[in-house]
Amino acid sequence: MNPIRFVLAAVFALAFAGAAQAHPHVWVTMKTDLVYGADGTVTGVRHAWSFDDMFSAFATQGLEAKVKGEFTRDELKPLAKVNVESLKEYDFFTYATADGKKTELTDPLPEYWLDYKDQVLTLNFTLPFKTPVKAKELKVEVYDPSIFVDFAFNKEQPVQLVGAPAQCKLETELPREMTMAEGQALSRIPADQVNTSMMWGAQFANKILVKCP
Amino acid sequence: MRWLVRQSAWAQCLVFIGGFLLVVGVIDVAFAQPFGMTRPAPSPEYGGVTGWILAKQAEFYRMLSGAIRAAKADGSAAWTLLGISFTYGIFHAAGPGHGKAVISSYLVANDETWRRGIVLSFASAALQAVTAVAVVGIGAVLLGATAKAMGNTVRVIEIVSYALIMLIGLRLLWVKGRAFIASLRPARSNAKASADHHDHAHGHDHDHAHGHVHGPACTHHGHHHHGHTHGHSHDHCDEASAWSHGHGPEPAELTGRHWWKRGLAAIVAVGLRPCSGAVIVLVFALAQGLFWIGVASTFVMALGTAITVAIIATVAVGARGLAGRMAQAKPGTGMILVRGLETAAAGVLVVFGALLLTGYIVSERLMGF
Repeated sequence: MNPIRFVLAAVFALAFAGAAQAHPHVWVTMKTDLVYGADGTVTGVRHAWSFDDMFSAFATQGLEAKVKGEFTRDELKPLAKVNVESLKEYDFFTYATADGKKTELTDPLPEYWLDYKDQVLTLNFTLPFKTPVKAKELKVEVYDPSIFVDFAFNKEQPVQLVGAPAQCKLETELPREMTMAEGQALSRIPADQVNTSMMWGAQFANKILVKCP
Repeated sequence: MRWLVRQSAWAQCLVFIGGFLLVVGVIDVAFAQPFGMTRPAPSPEYGGVTGWILAKQAEFYRMLSGAIRAAKADGSAAWTLLGISFTYGIFHAAGPGHGKAVISSYLVANDETWRRGIVLSFASAALQAVTAVAVVGIGAVLLGATAKAMGNTVRVIEIVSYALIMLIGLRLLWVKGRAFIASLRPARSNAKASADHHDHAHGHDHDHAHGHVHGPACTHHGHHHHGHTHGHSHDHCDEASAWSHGHGPEPAELTGRHWWKRGLAAIVAVGLRPCSGAVIVLVFALAQGLFWIGVASTFVMALGTAITVAIIATVAVGARGLAGRMAQAKPGTGMILVRGLETAAAGVLVVFGALLLTGYIVSERLMGF
């Protein structure tokens, strides 16, 4: 083997050794509403996040329940509190910009809860904007930069505008799944050739775009 | 390659150390992402092969839950589960918990053989499976602990393991760093001794029998602790054999006390922290009343992980061997290259341990929420 190729291969192997550190351990299927006030401003982002069955089983492990395998909202109250408090550290994975400027969301409203149905946990909470937003273009993105959590909008009804002025148009962008052909093409790239034309990471973000002319 | 050989030892040294730090830089950038979370972070960009591996890993991990459910209804689906677990292990093998980077840095700094790298990889993966089963077995099965309690347990294990990584790094940095400084001073007896060794090594350069390569590339602790003698029967440098002479491990080499003592610390440092995925899978299997199938899955996963880590460790040892052989071509001064590389690798371990310990690098959050 050509030594320089070998060193390059070694460098590459070590590099991806580091880069491939994270991968999702939690999957969240989202349903997100943008809530509007009477004056046509956006007051907050209302999330309903359903966790995957493995994480749901993990999170409910050891919790007391009257009926085995069923959890009521009350029984899940302590867990909901832990979830919401830990999510604070990660800004609730929700990032908003109004006309290109970062807009702050505050701590969730006190009415938040967890539901347990078909062995799946769903966390319901609303993040109010610090000040209600009126913008020509409001963008809300949901993603985990460390991709420990994989977020994806619910396919049937991903996003709803609640009480929005009639002229506002909603666009949503779902993270695209990699096609088989793309996967194969990627696997054929020689190890010592870093391909930059096939960047696909941005697809991890779920984007909500509201335009109000 | 020829270009590199023509350069001075200093230039070669810089090239290698630069390359090594570049790799570490890449690793660090990948790690640093959770840290960037407090700021409005940009969308993650994962390109090429990395992205593909990431996608595959996630795909197989997701398949695990379906396979466990299927195994509940039909026992024969357990085999499918084991197959998926194995593939997942191969693709996953990520996170400092799995310690690819740590094991590689350790092997490079310590100038271990590729066989030892493989043994280290398998032993640490096995230990990792054992800790995952122990945490869930004792925690969830016996004590009925909550996910939060198990997460806290893992947190404590993590701190011990990261501290150990840093300690191993500091010890290596002390030993290798001193050797590096010594090699920068030709007047010192150390460098002179190395130059003498070179003569010995040179004769065997291209057609040496395994176990007789004692070139300047061989920088075992033994050199430092035993007054630069070269009579180690079981602690010799055989990276060259990783290339051309494939033969079975010598029992003396694998059972030598020296290396087991060193190696054990590395196995514990890397293997102590259970993989978050395994813990979640075990709890899920338990919830389905299939704890033992979960245990089997965990061990098969570890087997897959060990294979990936072993391959990368072998590559790291090979690259280190290449640097060593280039050093042999440069009597005396070539030593700087090797010592520099070892010192850099030891430094990487220290930085790694420190960053993990202080939370600047987050490996895998078990309690994401």
